Amino acid sequence: MDFLSFLQRNIPLFDGAFGTMLQQRAGGPVGTVPELWNVERPADVAAIHRAYAEAGADVITANTFGANEFKVGSAEEAEKLIRAGVRLAKEAAPDKFVALDIGPSGRLLEPMGSLSFDDAYAAFARQAKAGAAAGADLILIETMADLQELRAAVLAARENTSLPVLCSMTFEENGRTFAGCDPVCYALTASPLADAIGVNCSLGPDKLLPVVQALLDHTNKPVLVQANAGLPDEQMNYSVGPEEFAAAYRAFLDAGVRILGGCCGTTPEHIRRLRALIGRRRPRAARRKFISAVCSATKAVFFDGVRTIGERINPTGKKAMKQALREGDYAFVQGQAIEQAEAGADILDVNAGLPEIDEKAALVRLVREVQAVCDLPLQIDCGKPDAVEAALRRCCGKAIVNSVNGDPAVLRTILPIVKKYGAAVVGLTTDERGIPRTAAERVRIAGDIIHACAEYGIPQENILIDCLTLTVSAEQGQARETLEAIRQIKSRWRVRTTLGVSNISFGLPERRIVNTAFLTAAFAAGLDAPILNPNIPENMQAVHAWRVLSGEDKNCAAYTARYGGAKAESAPAGGTAGHERPADARAELFRCIRKGLPQAAAACATLLEKEAPLDVVNGSLIPALNEVGDDYEKGVLFLPQLIAAAESAKLCFDEVKKRLPGGETERGKIVLATVKGDIHDIGKNIARTVLENYGYKVIDLGKNVPPEQVAAACEREDVRLCGLSALMTTTVPAMEETIRLLRARCPRCRVMVGGAVLNADYAKKIGADWYCKDANADVKIARYLFEGGEEVPTL
Amino acid sequence: MQVDRAEFLRYLGWRGQETDEALLQKLDEAARRCLEIAQPRSTVRRFPLDGDLCLGGTGFVLEGRDVRAHLAGCHEVYLFAATIGIAAERELARLSARGAYEALLFDTACSCAIESYCDDVCEDLQKSCARRLLPRFSCGYGDFPLQAQRDICRLLRTDTAIGLCCDESCLLTPRKSVTAVVGITDEPPAPAAQRACGSCAACKHTGCAFRRKDG
Repeated sequence: MDFLSFLQRNIPLFDGAFGTMLQQRAGGPVGTVPELWNVERPADVAAIHRAYAEAGADVITANTFGANEFKVGSAEEAEKLIRAGVRLAKEAAPDKFVALDIGPSGRLLEPMGSLSFDDAYAAFARQAKAGAAAGADLILIETMADLQELRAAVLAARENTSLPVLCSMTFEENGRTFAGCDPVCYALTASPLADAIGVNCSLGPDKLLPVVQALLDHTNKPVLVQANAGLPDEQMNYSVGPEEFAAAYRAFLDAGVRILGGCCGTTPEHIRRLRALIGRRRPRAARRKFISAVCSATKAVFFDGVRTIGERINPTGKKAMKQALREGDYAFVQGQAIEQAEAGADILDVNAGLPEIDEKAALVRLVREVQAVCDLPLQIDCGKPDAVEAALRRCCGKAIVNSVNGDPAVLRTILPIVKKYGAAVVGLTTDERGIPRTAAERVRIAGDIIHACAEYGIPQENILIDCLTLTVSAEQGQARETLEAIRQIKSRWRVRTTLGVSNISFGLPERRIVNTAFLTAAFAAGLDAPILNPNIPENMQAVHAWRVLSGEDKNCAAYTARYGGAKAESAPAGGTAGHERPADARAELFRCIRKGLPQAAAACATLLEKEAPLDVVNGSLIPALNEVGDDYEKGVLFLPQLIAAAESAKLCFDEVKKRLPGGETERGKIVLATVKGDIHDIGKNIARTVLENYGYKVIDLGKNVPPEQVAAACEREDVRLCGLSALMTTTVPAMEETIRLLRARCPRCRVMVGGAVLNADYAKKIGADWYCKDANADVKIARYLFEGGEEVPTL
Repeated sequence: MQVDRAEFLRYLGWRGQETDEALLQKLDEAARRCLEIAQPRSTVRRFPLDGDLCLGGTGFVLEGRDVRAHLAGCHEVYLFAATIGIAAERELARLSARGAYEALLFDTACSCAIESYCDDVCEDLQKSCARRLLPRFSCGYGDFPLQAQRDICRLLRTDTAIGLCCDESCLLTPRKSVTAVVGITDEPPAPAAQRACGSCAACKHTGCAFRRKDG
């Protein structure tokens, strides 16, 4: 019988701790690679397996938890230890199932760490293949803390073997993993990918019940529990004895847990007690749960009220976003993500549809960069199957795919991808025949889409139907049809609805008035997830008001907290009072910049009423920054003051740019990057701020940037100055390699470097043109290079 | 664990410049936010140390003249690792995308917090140990190689124990983390508290931006 058939009819029991048993036999610490025992002391390993088999475990876990290339040094060595481990387990317990055990890689994945998703996947794939080839019956991925790493491992196991895949995370007392993932996000994300999900390690069984209950409530897959025997003391002794352990497990079984076992500190005796506890129990039939939600690794959003989808990360009709995507300036995109999150968006739409760029690569990058700074779930806005798949694969959490329509050809290509990753999907009520004219036609197409989804196993709670907003000034009858379609669809099916709103008012004056009226009417018709610009106050006001009217905002608490005592904001008003004479206004601007005050923007706006933009730049902003820079060098100011001044100057430049469209203030273009292998980017970020606020155009490639990417950006943008940062001795070689590549591919580009372990000599040795001892040094170099400022001698 | 304002300013490179209330308020805000978000965790294990500076039966050898000199006369060591967690890392990423000023302050507050937390851990260790402990010695101090960080993380299983990883470049992730070795002498405990790298006066990195004037 295979494991999944066994699981259907039984409550399988896994074995208990391995590491603690090994340590007992070793009489002390085991060294950095406990899996070496598979080849060095196989008899000891086999004896532990036998003890668990005799205690009544159904599944024996091979001693392969840390056998990965990162922990043991090479993929070959890891595979050797896996083969030996699985064979040992099979020989020791020939009549039991043997699980290949896969633990965390020991590396932190991007975006917080430096290991890429693809490299993690490749390593896990090698482990899975080696385990399957050695005869494992199933794969257990356990003790994971990072949801993205778990995803990489589960996908690798699924796509490279035909074995059942069980996964398990470890939770802290605060109900989250070390990486901040909570059980709800975990359940939403992992359930579609694995055959069973669960928890292990973590706390003692008495404290795990809330986590286990949250998992049970948010998955339709079997749930497994392998708890620690309490928390260890300093001598690594665990406190929960077999009897107490088994007693606590009774609650898990009663709650519906389907697979049991033990983790750190448990012994064959613990497992024997669990065997007795299971006794003749058989699994109960579970009712299918209806769970309509999306999530990131740390934040779940349930469609149980109005949920807004921010539309700003989309190049269509947005010049700055287009430029950022073309240049690879993802710092701009990140800023847009945060702005929308702060404005109240619940989900962010990401779209990289720009004809002149590689949409697939850009979409993947968008997902990564947005998830690095923002915890909102994402909506992947793309119609190309390969790009959708690439983005969904790397998107941590459960995303929405925007969109499919009723065209069978579209449904056939996109729905299998949606199903594979367990995503939600937007169904647009058009088909190969074009845009429908009536509500009835829209409802019919919605039905086609829902039916097609069902064929692929995509449940209604994962579908959002978009009834199409058409421009009311062109086709006045269509607004009613859209609203009617929403009403009918909501009454017939359990799907959710979405709608892009702003298109309604195209061509009309005061568009916001029409937009908010339409939005409110759509809410009344049953709209769940409007796609809108959350930075427009009226949009969010309509949302907040609807939450009051619909009863979602209980006791109007959120509304009152937000608007009580404060006047509702509207479109930003321009103009500031005071300072009649230009000289006064100039002095005020100087003071604000020097003090790093946000009022600098208003002061600048005032001055701009009296002086030409370029005069303000050259007569006030640059001299103010120069003075601050000089004072910083002299030690009159220190770093935070320099940065505060630079940020207030940035606000001033924004004012100037409003009056000078077309980038006339741009003083030169600079590429900045923190080199491959290095994630310490604070110095680079400071350099960016200071340079930008001098009016230089900075293309910030981010951290952990491969040499080829730096060279490609410099080449494409034909930049004359590139700044690189590296913090540690271990990452300076990557800097050297980057410089070498830049020399070969962009001979015109000069290179400045900075970072904690560098000095002028070291910088010269690795081939840089300049060494920057602080943030101001960058500016001097830029001024020399771009504007003929005072010479800064090269190294 | 705390964020001491004097330390905070020193880490920011402050050398007596005039500060105003707005700046100090920003410092306090950053410190408060850091302490609110930080999830400090540590793991410690005691090992015998042989004459070749090998730890127990693990095969792991502490390399470098400086660590050898530092641990002279010790027959046991504590190996420890500490982190303030990934939530602070995530917050730093968010702040960095909004602007450098608050990011710089938050980053620096976190540096203060992890050092202070390590001081606390070492103080607790000293309290529970009947012998005098040496100041903690971290990878990267003197010629004690960063590469040792990898082995320390493996021996302490920091990934599953406290959520701390060591990457390909031997850098710790989350960034605001420390690994160190603490020598256990054969002497009774001394009354004075221990600090990070002992005294600045004894350190050969004379160009260090954080060097204390009072040594």
